[in-house]
Amino acid sequence: MLNAIDKQILKQVADLEEIPKGAYNIRKDGKLLSREVSANINIETNKKGDGIVIDIKPGTKNESVHIPVILSQAGLHDVVYNTFIIGEGSDVTIVAGCGIHCGSDKSEGHSGIHEFQVMNNARVTYIEKHVAIGDGTGRRILNPTTNVIMHENAYVHMELTQLGGVDEAKRINTAKIGDRSVLSVTERVMTEKNQFAESRNEITLSGEDSKANIVSRSVIKGHSSQDFYVNLIAKNRCFGHIECDAIIMDNGINKTIPALMALHPDAELTHEASIGKIANDQLMKLMSLGLNYDEAVSQIIQGFLR
Amino acid sequence: MLQLKNVVFKVSGSASDTKQLSERTIINDVSFTFERGGFYAITGPNGSGKSTLAKLIMGINPITRGKIIFNGTDIGKYSIDERSNAGIVYGFQHPARFKGTTFRDLLSIAAKSEDEDKLVEILSRVGVCSMDFLDKPVDSKLSGGEIKKIELATVIARNPKVAIYDEPDTGIDLWTIGPMVELLKREQKENNTTTIVVSHNKVFLEAADTLLLIKEGKIAYTGDLAGAVPILEDLSVCTFDELCQGGDNAECYR
Repeated sequence: MLNAIDKQILKQVADLEEIPKGAYNIRKDGKLLSREVSANINIETNKKGDGIVIDIKPGTKNESVHIPVILSQAGLHDVVYNTFIIGEGSDVTIVAGCGIHCGSDKSEGHSGIHEFQVMNNARVTYIEKHVAIGDGTGRRILNPTTNVIMHENAYVHMELTQLGGVDEAKRINTAKIGDRSVLSVTERVMTEKNQFAESRNEITLSGEDSKANIVSRSVIKGHSSQDFYVNLIAKNRCFGHIECDAIIMDNGINKTIPALMALHPDAELTHEASIGKIANDQLMKLMSLGLNYDEAVSQIIQGFLR
Repeated sequence: MLQLKNVVFKVSGSASDTKQLSERTIINDVSFTFERGGFYAITGPNGSGKSTLAKLIMGINPITRGKIIFNGTDIGKYSIDERSNAGIVYGFQHPARFKGTTFRDLLSIAAKSEDEDKLVEILSRVGVCSMDFLDKPVDSKLSGGEIKKIELATVIARNPKVAIYDEPDTGIDLWTIGPMVELLKREQKENNTTTIVVSHNKVFLEAADTLLLIKEGKIAYTGDLAGAVPILEDLSVCTFDELCQGGDNAECYR
């Protein structure tokens, strides 16, 4: 069922050596490859047939669901619409991600449009990894969209990672955060050669005492470029913080535009942004501990993207 | 043994008013031998070149002329990492802050080992008590004292032949300086580490076997602290003469 390339992608995207335990849905080349539900987590194809609905029962604790996507068909551009309903009081981990294997000169792409309804008191950890491999010269395109609606006292932590091989990525993240809910997003993107990545984020703190912490770490090598936009909009008494850091190397280019909008007098919003080459004092410190220049650069980037 | 032979360090820059390229001599023909296992303190007025001298030994700045010989080998052209691997280690006055890299990462690199027991042994040598400290990222959230301890630990973890500390008391409270001096002396005795401390602090000047006083890029005095006291108390060493209106006005505490 899974060939060698599929296994390689699953390992990189979902840390899976074999079929996962618990609920899962593996999509390959635009079609369902394999699916398993659990007592508390149901997965069904949606009405239009262009995605899945993952319904997590209220009170589900300490379960995980894997929904990796594998793309290895030349010329295929796959679009899916997935809906996640995280029931009240549940505490789950969702492992998503897309791996493209490109072996020809035709482009391959995947756009995953995910909507999350996070009910009261629910906690979700969402881990999404994107990677592209293969010797083909076709462009590898990944355009994920994530829309999160958080009800009351909910907690969502998102780890969105893209660490290699993707030629073009346009990512859109939106969130609406309800009373006393907390959203934490960490985005890590590494581009090289002539790759391009864009991330547009619109986070609305609509509930009283809502909180958001958005962290972005980018490494831009070769002739690649990355653009990062984030609008943090406060409509109530809340806390919001944006931290965007980019390391540019070789001829990398970066545009970072953080924006804070306080539309309520009790909003507290902060941001820090930095773009620059690897700091010389960091290099000198590591070299003074015996690492050569390349090893020092490697260690700094490894720590930065951890 | 570390020998400096006629070391000169010049920097070029343009004078703001004339826009002509000019050269400034920071270290002006310094020769000195640091004996194995000795404890040396390098001191002098601000701008005298003492930190620069330490940086030249480590290769952070390249010498313009002269030689640096370490255990018989000319290391003048060695890079920072080559000097580190030869046994010379440097403790920075303002340690670098990283994003993501932890104390454990730095200590493992320094000690060339990820072995938990080995790391714990280094922590106890330095006097860091808590194991949780190891996994803290070495970033801007750490206090000055915490990052100094990390800096010291990474130097000691290298088991250096020559340990250079650039103003190690910067940002350290009065109660921590004493133990810090004891730590350096202990390392010197137990491992025969040649210890070079750049400092203004009397505590380090008293702890050293030999004092080097640098003034305007030259060695003005070498010897013990007692012999240096007249020079240290001499107002002519002060570089703020032009700004002062005399003792009544500036209330100089020298």
